[in-house]
This record gives sequence, C-alpha cells and structure tokens, in this order.
Amino acid sequence: MKHGDRLVGTSRVIVAAARVANRVFLGGVVLGFALSLVFAGPLGTWVGQTEPGGDVVTGVMGVRLLLLVGVAMGVATDRLLSALRAVVETARSGDPFVAVNARRLQTIGWCLLVQQLLDAPVWLAARLFPALKTETPGLDVSAGGWLAVLMVFVLSRVFAAGTVMRDELAGTV
Amino acid sequence: MSLTQLAEAVDITLANLSILKTGKARAIRFSTLEAVCAVLECQPGELLSFEPDE
Repeated sequence: MKHGDRLVGTSRVIVAAARVANRVFLGGVVLGFALSLVFAGPLGTWVGQTEPGGDVVTGVMGVRLLLLVGVAMGVATDRLLSALRAVVETARSGDPFVAVNARRLQTIGWCLLVQQLLDAPVWLAARLFPALKTETPGLDVSAGGWLAVLMVFVLSRVFAAGTVMRDELAGTV
Repeated sequence: MSLTQLAEAVDITLANLSILKTGKARAIRFSTLEAVCAVLECQPGELLSFEPDE
C-alpha cells in the first residue's frame, strides 16, 4: 500500500470516528438544553451552589446560552466533517480534482469561520453572566484558527481554478 | 496510411487521434502537431483551417 493510500485510509477512519463523536456530543448538548428547560429548578440550584451569592436567573440563562453555542458548534462541526468525508472519499476513489470539492472546501471554510466566531458568545456569556465565570472559558483568540479559515478559503479558490485547468487539459491532444 | 498506423507513427492513442479527426479536441499540443506534420510530411496550415462562427 502506498503512503498516500495509507494517509487517505487513516483520514477516512479518523473523520468517521470524529463524526460519530461529534454527533454524540451534539445529541448530548441538545438533550442538555431540553433538560435545562424542563428542569429549570434543579439547574438554578446547581448554578447557585456553583457561585454562592451569584445571580441564579442570569446564571441559568448563561448555561442555556452556552448549550445553544454548543449546538451551533456541533452543527458546524457536523457540516465540516461531512464535507471533509466527501473530499476524502473522492481522494480514495482516485479523482479528487473535481469542481464539487472546491465547493466542499468552501463549506469547510465557512464552518471553520463559524467555529471561530462562536468564541464571541462564549466570551459574552462569561461577561454577561458573572455567575458562570468559573465555568466558562475565556476569550481565546486563536491566530492559528483564523489562519486556517483564510487558508481553506484560499485553497478552495486554488482548487476551483485547478479543476477548470484540468477540464481544459482533458480536451488537449 | 490507416488511422492505426498514423497513431503509432505519431505516438498518440487511436482514441486521441479520433478526437482530433472529428474536431472534438479543445486544443492540440505543438509537439503533437509537429509529430503529425513530420509523419504526413505537411505543414500545419494544411491540417488546420479557420471557420468563423455563423
């Protein structure tokens, strides 16, 4: 087996496992959000214990906001992994330089952008709901993440131009 | 000279030669054109013609 084949095969397994893990996470977060609505009382008690003397009502709202961010993150990650899986499948079949993969790369870019932007509501939750200050991560601006977004959008354009060139070459004798 | 013999002499596949013959090729490499001219002992102008769109 060639090195490239092993890489594609390994990527396929990793992406498949990540999709399953993400869907489990997404299901858990959706369930958590539903439970936060159904069991608002116990949630308020838990928030009150976490931050004694804190504002319980805003704390509960903060928990729900974080769960909604988790849902958005999970959906974006699912779209990303689905597109990545499709790209890997075309690489596996030996014909990855097709126009649809340029669009898939663009989808991946948008999903990465959404993931980067979701840092903002998490940071806002920490600011607006002080009762959650020990539970929420800080605003972690990742230069690597933003560069990845830029890189994937640029690569999608390169890919699109490359597939057009390949189509033209296909008719050259 | 048959198409098969020409394809062998020019060193391109019969399928590609057929694409050239039927005018379905989008482009032709100078190396292919040179090889065809060398085998057929002709000039590119004898192989190519321009027909303006109606």
